[in-house]
Amino acid sequence: MEANREKYAADLSSIKEAHDRIKPYIHRTPVLTSESLNSISGRSLFFKCECFQKGGAFKFRGACNAVLSLDAEQAAKGVVTHSSGNHAAALSLAAKIQGIPAYIVVPKGAPKCKVDNVIRYGGKVIWSEATMSSREEVASKVLQETGSVLIHPYNDGRIISGQGTIALELLEQIQEIDAIVVPISGGGLISGVALAAKSIKPSIRIIAAEPKGADDAAQSKVAGKIITLPVTNTIADGLRASLGGLTW
Amino acid sequence: MEANREKYAADLSSIKEAHDRIKPYIHRTPVLTSESLNSISGRSLFFKCECFQKGGAFKFRGACNAVLSLDAEQAAKGVVTHSSGNHAAALSLAAKIQGIPAYIVVPKGAPKCKVDNVIRYGGKVIWSEATMSSREEVASKVLQETGSVLIHPYNDGRIISGQGTIALELLEQIQEIDAIVVPISGGGLISGVALAAKSIKPSIRIIAAEPKGADDAAQSKVAGKIITLPVTNTIADGLRASLGGLTWPVVRDLVDDVVTLEDCEIIEAMKMCYEILKVSVEPSGAIGLAAVLSNSFRNNPSWRDCKNIGIVLSGGNVDLGSLWDSFKRSK
Repeated sequence: MEANREKYAADLSSIKEAHDRIKPYIHRTPVLTSESLNSISGRSLFFKCECFQKGGAFKFRGACNAVLSLDAEQAAKGVVTHSSGNHAAALSLAAKIQGIPAYIVVPKGAPKCKVDNVIRYGGKVIWSEATMSSREEVASKVLQETGSVLIHPYNDGRIISGQGTIALELLEQIQEIDAIVVPISGGGLISGVALAAKSIKPSIRIIAAEPKGADDAAQSKVAGKIITLPVTNTIADGLRASLGGLTW
Repeated sequence: MEANREKYAADLSSIKEAHDRIKPYIHRTPVLTSESLNSISGRSLFFKCECFQKGGAFKFRGACNAVLSLDAEQAAKGVVTHSSGNHAAALSLAAKIQGIPAYIVVPKGAPKCKVDNVIRYGGKVIWSEATMSSREEVASKVLQETGSVLIHPYNDGRIISGQGTIALELLEQIQEIDAIVVPISGGGLISGVALAAKSIKPSIRIIAAEPKGADDAAQSKVAGKIITLPVTNTIADGLRASLGGLTWPVVRDLVDDVVTLEDCEIIEAMKMCYEILKVSVEPSGAIGLAAVLSNSFRNNPSWRDCKNIGIVLSGGNVDLGSLWDSFKRSK
């Protein structure tokens, strides 16, 4: 099926614009290779190291693009999100760079290192219960009280465009890539990567990697519609979200 | 004191030749930066990640240069060394690439991951006792039996030149570097880096980082001659060697200072590399960061104008079990 570019929340041009916008602030992360892993896998593997991105994860790209896309009036009152993970710290850092407040609703039980990152980057932590409804409720309250802008961790064209810049870099760094394997949670990362990569090189394959204990994306593909799971069970704490209307 | 280039075992031109020779085989490792570490240290830090080098440490550069410098006749019978560490695996890999045998004398007690690397890269392991005399004796026997060439881990101009290529890359990648902090053991790495860097940018400072429990280089600088220690005591297993006849003159003349660190400082720096940089380093590899964060470095007025500091993260080969033990103990 052809990529119908007008239909999606982002496209190659919004992704290229995002790259120009965020370039001064992000790390252009290296691609590492290993003969040992090539030998073990039987393929040539190219590791795009977003673990070295600011804030320790790729999320900073999307958060940065979203924050930098706000007009002065919107930005002044700050940004808010609810996140147990890397988007929280990423948004805090992006807001800090712009000199605006970041209100981060964190559910109890969130990994300590991820909460520490939020604090380190100047985000204001507001605790909620660990349920989705409590997170949303508390975020809603904060939004009303502060007038801040809600920045969703993945279901947002600016976020998807920011994440897509990874594919722009990867394909510049290694032209011979014929497939990209991407972790999938809410779908923001893989959406951006797929939109960019298939525009640049239509023959490229995009493969999602998902924990069996949170396999809602796999089920969604089979069912042909968004499937959400009542419970997830995986060590991969960053991959428990379900697909959104823009990523699906 | 001016760098008198004819006096030393290597120079900018042998280092540039080494780079051309080894380029097709090595990784041009990235330089990573961290705003958090800049904030903590009060400087701009540039981490040259030799932990990502083939074999997991910078040693592959020198080993590669040495092996590729052998003529066909010398090479045919293979190479031999005695090493408990990264040189062993590096030489095995360099030999494998050239299709020649590598005989590696390994002392009992060598870290398992480093022995595993030797085997993975096709090196033939011959065990010795953990004493220097046993290592040398067994290596000597192997040399006689096989006719192979001994490749010393650091006291060799070809090895020093190979290691110096790190400085060539670093200064191409980050021109504004005004100081480079380098772990020191036998002095091969820092000699190569100092010779290259000071030729390219004479004002650059070269600072060695050494464990207090193996501070022979610091003592040598003070004494004005090579000091060797009867015993070393440090978690940094890669930094226990003493200076050689070829590395000492470079350390004496071109290394501006030696900062010594306690093991707890080394472990703290190692933790920061994992938690903040997200990079896998062994204790020897993290010592440069420990040096920059140390009180003696921070309070030293000589380094006040060093704003852009290159730090060589020299290696990342560490047994995960030992790693977790170190972190747990340090809490």
